[in-house]
Amino acid sequence: MAAHAGTLTQEDRLHELLNMEKMTLSSKVREAQSRTELWMRYLGFPGGLLVFLAVLYLPAGAGLSGAAQAGAACFALALVWWVTEPFPTYVTSLVLMFLLLVTRTAAPKAIMDVLGMEVIWLNLLAFILSAMLVKTRLARRMSLWLVLRFGHTASFALLAFLLLQMLLAPLIPATAARCVMTLPLMLVVAAIYGSTEESPNAFGKNLMLLNLLGISVLSSMTMTGSSANLIAVGLIQTMGGHRVYYMDWVLAGAPVAIATGLIMWVVGQKMLFRIPVAERLPHIQGGLGVIRQKYDEMGPLSQSEKKALAIFGLVLFLWTTDVFHLSWFGVEITAPFAALLGAVIVLFPRWGVLQWAEADIPWHLLIFSAGAYAGGLALDDTGAAEWAVQRLFAGIDLRGVPFGVTYTIIVSVMMYSHLLTTSKTVRTMIMIPIIITMSKALGWDPVSLALPAALCIDWVVGLPISGKPNVVLFATNQYSVMENFRYGMVTCTVGVILLVGSAATWFHWLGITPAFWAVPQ
Amino acid sequence: MRTLTALLILLACAPAATAADIVITRYEVTLATAADGTGAATVVITLDDAAPGVVTIPLGFAGVKVVTIADGPAGVAASARPVNGQSELRLTLPDGVPSSTRVTVQFAAAGVFQRTEPAPGERRTLPEGVRIFRHAMVNTQPLPIGRYRFTVVFPAALRAHAVRETLPKLRKAEAGPRARLADIGGRPGAWLDVPTLSQGDAASLHIELVPEGRSPVWLIAGLVLCVLYLVYFRDLVSRRAA
Repeated sequence: MAAHAGTLTQEDRLHELLNMEKMTLSSKVREAQSRTELWMRYLGFPGGLLVFLAVLYLPAGAGLSGAAQAGAACFALALVWWVTEPFPTYVTSLVLMFLLLVTRTAAPKAIMDVLGMEVIWLNLLAFILSAMLVKTRLARRMSLWLVLRFGHTASFALLAFLLLQMLLAPLIPATAARCVMTLPLMLVVAAIYGSTEESPNAFGKNLMLLNLLGISVLSSMTMTGSSANLIAVGLIQTMGGHRVYYMDWVLAGAPVAIATGLIMWVVGQKMLFRIPVAERLPHIQGGLGVIRQKYDEMGPLSQSEKKALAIFGLVLFLWTTDVFHLSWFGVEITAPFAALLGAVIVLFPRWGVLQWAEADIPWHLLIFSAGAYAGGLALDDTGAAEWAVQRLFAGIDLRGVPFGVTYTIIVSVMMYSHLLTTSKTVRTMIMIPIIITMSKALGWDPVSLALPAALCIDWVVGLPISGKPNVVLFATNQYSVMENFRYGMVTCTVGVILLVGSAATWFHWLGITPAFWAVPQ
Repeated sequence: MRTLTALLILLACAPAATAADIVITRYEVTLATAADGTGAATVVITLDDAAPGVVTIPLGFAGVKVVTIADGPAGVAASARPVNGQSELRLTLPDGVPSSTRVTVQFAAAGVFQRTEPAPGERRTLPEGVRIFRHAMVNTQPLPIGRYRFTVVFPAALRAHAVRETLPKLRKAEAGPRARLADIGGRPGAWLDVPTLSQGDAASLHIELVPEGRSPVWLIAGLVLCVLYLVYFRDLVSRRAA
């Protein structure tokens, strides 16, 4: 977000920050924060190319196709460039798409079609809805209320967002939708605590990354949290012969996800991005009094705010009732189409609340997403990702090993494997059947390994390309790729520790896992 | 007279009814290809409820020559004939054939790689040196095939660039993969695995092959770009710029 901050007085500054209509999701290159980052940018370009060449010219492994090897090389190059940022991330995406073509990894149509994927449409339409919240000043009102109600200190403001995401996760399965609808609130609250694109601070990093965690990880609380969860449930039933009920999943998944959220709420602000004492209160002279004054000045809900609330309510209603659509309408209105209906009403002449030109659609973000998805799909379609997983498991002999050791390895591989792919669905389709087959071969009940592994599906928090919300939140320029990686890896490690601890206790009591040190018969 | 006619019809139908009872429980094909486009195929067919008579089995190869029985009960005979651009294997099972029988047939196949050179006036769609391997088998017979597994071994000088298509597609509840590239006896190859093929079902594998080894163009271009960038963008980290 580029806040055009004129800083005459603190009150003017608050006014400027709250004037979100002047803000756009910035496409400009993020300034390097340190000399180390400058060197990373300088060496990132040749580094990426050398990694590309190394992977491309490595002796081919058995069963690895030429296209898979080339796809892995292209993706590795993009990964290095996305992390080190010698170019803006969307330029790297464009380079990646070109490389996929010239290395004959993917067909031109397959590469271009990515821009028409459901996820890209959902992003685009959700940004129109987000622009509506900003234009009608509903986002401003909600943010001020949120800060007044919960944001007396930075710590409680962060907790309020975690609880908000916890509330939304079971209601709205589309993570991108959840992200975009809460993004305006995040931006205003970050600004109130002094974190802007020009000078992001520890609060802003904590806020964005905790929300990323909330959006992704809390999806694992329920089996309906994402479609990939349901695929895993289906595979466990058809291949493993064990039906996983809704409450089975909730009892196993929710405690781990919620505990991780709370642990990271503390770890983030106390250890990873320590919030200095001076930043723990709103950065506004006059403190909450000024915010209260601004909130009161807004008066009662305006006509356009009421319209926005109604439109958003309709979309939200459609998002949360998708399981009933078929019986109500004879057709399922999927998340992008619910957003599309909302966008039609928002943009409708006379009755709508927004002109097309006022919609802040960050095309650079969509291009970044498209490139990331094209690369991820190429890894999946060519079989490179599956080959890597097969090789990894083939290299580990788990026969005669106690259950706890096997469990720890499988959960760890599942948790960190999200760094190699951009699709939860594809990762599920590759990993869960392998884990079920392996469980059977080792003599363990498939559900004892497959269900805990399935609980890791939604933990896609390691990189800005790991998921849809990651892309959106990264565009706020409040944190770097390395900071995202650090936070994500700590989150995943906390998750692995909790899952391993659960296997020894909670999951065993629930009857999901055998004794931790049991040895196969 | 009517009774006699009915009896004759029944007698005529009797062998066919017996053949219809035969179940092909496994059908495994291994094809070792050579760079010149020829291949040596070994087909292992496992039959249940086998009975004397002729069993027709679709092969899926266009040109089949020199069909021999490598293993099977005494008296089994095999021949192949072209039908609609494909080939059919005719197995003649002798009297006294065991109910559960395994027959191994070998034959030579020609033209296993498709032509990729464009015809006069056509545009080239694939780079030079690319070979296309496509094997398709349609179960044209009423006998269902229990499990069909096709394995192909490529010539040493070629490498699979991509598996372009496999049929049938995986069903929703089916765990994959349908086909996979693999190391087969120390040589590059691939397999296709289909759990069941009813009458009219097709199984196919389409793989693009390229010569082993990569062109050095990428290496040269990459290294040149590295050097150029390090020289022309060195101001990014120069003290003066900082």
